[in-house]
Formats: sequence, structure tokens, C-alpha cells
Amino acid sequence: MNAQLFALAVFDGVAYAALVFMVAVGLTLIFGVLRILNVAHGSFYAIGAYLTASIGGAIFAAGYAPWLALPLMFLAAAIVGIVLGGPIERLLLRRIYAKEDALQLLVTFAVFMILEDVQRLIWGTQPYFEATALQQLGNIEVFGVFYTTYQLVVLPLVAITVLISLRLFLRKTLSGKLILAVTEDRETATAIGIDADKVYLLTFVVGAALAGFGGALASATTSVVPGMGADMIVLSFAVVATAGLGQIEGAAIAALLIGLGRSFAVYLMPELQVLIPYLIMLLVLLVRPEGLFGVVRTRKI
Amino acid sequence: MLSFDQVDVAIAGVQILRQISFSIEPAETVALIGRNGAGKTTTLKSVMGLTQVRGTIRFDGKDLTAVAPAKRPRLGIGYAPEDRRLFSAFSVEENILMPGQVAGYSDAQLQAGLDRAYDILPELKALARRPAGMVSGGQGKMVALGRALMIGSRLIMLDEPFQGLAPALASRYAEALRALRDRDREVTLIITESNPGLLRRFADRALVIERGEVREGELDAEKVDA
Repeated sequence: MNAQLFALAVFDGVAYAALVFMVAVGLTLIFGVLRILNVAHGSFYAIGAYLTASIGGAIFAAGYAPWLALPLMFLAAAIVGIVLGGPIERLLLRRIYAKEDALQLLVTFAVFMILEDVQRLIWGTQPYFEATALQQLGNIEVFGVFYTTYQLVVLPLVAITVLISLRLFLRKTLSGKLILAVTEDRETATAIGIDADKVYLLTFVVGAALAGFGGALASATTSVVPGMGADMIVLSFAVVATAGLGQIEGAAIAALLIGLGRSFAVYLMPELQVLIPYLIMLLVLLVRPEGLFGVVRTRKI
Repeated sequence: MLSFDQVDVAIAGVQILRQISFSIEPAETVALIGRNGAGKTTTLKSVMGLTQVRGTIRFDGKDLTAVAPAKRPRLGIGYAPEDRRLFSAFSVEENILMPGQVAGYSDAQLQAGLDRAYDILPELKALARRPAGMVSGGQGKMVALGRALMIGSRLIMLDEPFQGLAPALASRYAEALRALRDRDREVTLIITESNPGLLRRFADRALVIERGEVREGELDAEKVDA
């Protein structure tokens, strides 16, 4: 592998890790608070991508300014979080928190299946491609390799900004502190006056919006096609499990690890490309069953 | 100010409290005595709405069972659970402030709450910035009391505060409770304990809970083998 291929593999890996992180961090945040593994999270990612690609395609064809691409991504994320995430938590998940894990998994899987069909109903099966954001920013040359500015600079910067903002939000704002308190001990949080139901809703909306934002960002780099949500949810499960459930910074590092592993496999052992993320997860979990950064919790009844 | 009227609690099909009725007057210090598993913790939890109850619990004449659990602390009820249950992600001071912040206290009210906690537990001042996950068990009990003081203007409930405390710390804790009694005469205190001797010096009354039933008891006479 020469230096240029090496650089390409690193850039591919970092750009991909940034997208996976956006989805995985929402998944892990939701798990940390609601204790639910949300399979429908992959649909939030796909719908964020579809919204951005279809609305973007329409408005840019109508001659609107290309800089609207970024605000559009925020809008798509907000729609996914508020219009989709809010009602799902309120009307459905709220009924199953006390139920066993298997049932919760089945319910979110059902939501995922329904949302997959909803996507086909709305957007059909033909791919959407809307790369205005990517084209506007052009290419840069690093280590003799030309790469898109959007993927090499914007995506990682956005991911780092999201990581830092999320950390500041959780530590410094009252809403964030309430989320952390409910995550650690729901009963005691209630006993000091925290409305855990509201915290659950807020967390789910934020987590869903992050997945929608990940999809919105991804839509500029790839064709939006049916099934993209399924690919992403499986990969982000691997990231979250590798990091340790509920670990936000851990998700960033695990996303990088898996993103890089995957992109190097593309260049070195293409036949292992699909397998590598799960091999990494398997190796980590064999040594540390609670994940790289996970903590073993003892629950007192 | 607090009364239970024929309250039943069953958890997972097991009857924990059977038709218990009692009432507590304002400014009283009540020891709730009983061995492990008798229902002391469940009694306190049912005040906070952390268990499903049948029957009526009144607080200042108001039916508590009609108040959402998360709204109950802001009626002026502070609760320190067994085992501290601090939020380890936050500092000691953030833990103490949190019930006030959640209730929407003004800065002045938050400061008054902090002053109250530090007045009664001056040793917490030195720990204010320390992460709550890094304090010792005994210090943690003090922080949990401080957190209850932030919001507990009318009623403070302490679940087994002396359990597991070294003798020196236990007497320090008892001293803090006396300081609270002297400082805020109007506040009502409920303390659960399996060893009534510890509370003899400052409790006004003992309620004894046995096999899920409550009766009046004598602080001196009660012997409970925990």
C-alpha cells in the first residue's frame, strides 16, 4: 500500500466514521436514558437523507441559492426529531418501558419495518442523488490526494462539534443535567422532582434528530436508496456495542475505529469489507464484554 | 400534616403494607422503627409516589395520590433515600442544588437552600466541588441530607441515615439533625431506623412497623433485632 492509498483509506475512514458517529451517538444516548435499543433509528437516518435529497433537489432545480443546503439539513433533522421521534416515544415506546427487552426490540423493529415501507410509499424505489453541498465546496489536495472538502473537512468538523456540543449540553445546561440524572437513577431523579417522562421525550427527540442529521449529511455523498437505513443501523449497533452502551465519547472513538477498519479493508482485503466492523466488535467484546468504555452496572432492587 | 389512611402497597404481588393508618403533626420528629423488610422504605417511597398505593395519603390536607410523583418535592418534601443515591456525574454542590433548580427556584432561593445545607452540614462546604462519585459513604449520607434540605421546607424524610456509619460519623450525623431541629423548628422530620436507641435523644415519637402494619411505640421500650 503506497502513501497515497494509505491517505485515501484514512480519509475515507474518517469521513465515514463521522456519519456513523452521528447515528451511533443518538442510539447510545437513547439507550443510556430509555434503556431501549431502538432499531427504528436506522429509519430516522434514511428519512433524514430522503428529506434532504428530495427537498434539496426540488429547491435547487427551482433556482434557489446553493448555500441553503446546510439549513435544509438542519430542517430535515428537526423534522425527523420532532414530527417522527416525538410521537413514536409519546404514543408507542412509553407503553413498553416496563416490558421485557425482547418485546421492546420487536416493537422498535416493527416501527423500522413500517417506516421502511412508508419511505417506499413516499419516495418510491428509484435512487435520489443531491450533491449540491458536496459540489459547492470543491476539492482540496492533501498529501498529493484530491479529496472533497465536504467529506474531509466538513463532516469531521460537524461530528466533533456535535460531540462537544452534546457534552456541554449534558454537563452545563439544566435540561442536559436532568438527562444525566435520569440516566443514572430514574427513581431518585423522580424523588427530587424531575419529570422523567419529559426527559425521555426530550432524549428521544434529540437522538432521532441526530440520526436524521446524519442522514442529511450523508445524502450529499451517496445515492439515497431503499435499505440504507438497515445498513446503517446494523453498523451503528456495532459501534455502540464496541464503545459500551451509553458511552458518548466512546461512540466517537469506536466509530473511528470501525470506519478506518472498514476503509482499509476496502483497499487491502475488499472481500472482508462487510465483515471487518463486526470482527472489530467481536474482538473488543471478547476481551471486554462491557465494551471499550462501558462500565459494569450493579442494579439494586 | 402527613396522614396515611388505610394504605395498601403490594409489590410484584407481595403485600408490603397492609391497611396502614397513622398521622404526623407539624414540627414533629418521628422515628419509624422496624426491622429490615418490615416496610419502612416502602412507606417513605409511597409518600414520594415511587410505589403504587391503594388508600389515601394526605399532606397538608391535600390528597397526595392525586399529585404526580415529580411534583411532590416542590410541596416542600425532601427525601434522602437509603444508600445515598447521589448523581455521580455531578459535584457535591450540583447534587445539593438540583432539587431547587428542578423546582424552578430563583437564585436567591437556591442560595438560601445552600446556606441552609452548609449551616447544618458545614463539612460539605469543603467538598462542594468534588464529584459526588468520589466521596466516602459517610460523606455521601451528608450530601443526601443536604440535597433533602434544599427542597424540604415542610417535611424531611431520611431512610436509615445511620446504617453503615462508623460511630464517630453517626454521632456527627446526629449532631447535624439536632442542628436542623434547632434551626428550623417548624419542619417535620421522619427518620427510619432499625435501632431505636440512636433516635431516643431527639425523636418525639416512635411509630413501629411490623409485618406491614403500623402501631404507636415507645422509643425507650422498643427493641428490634435487625
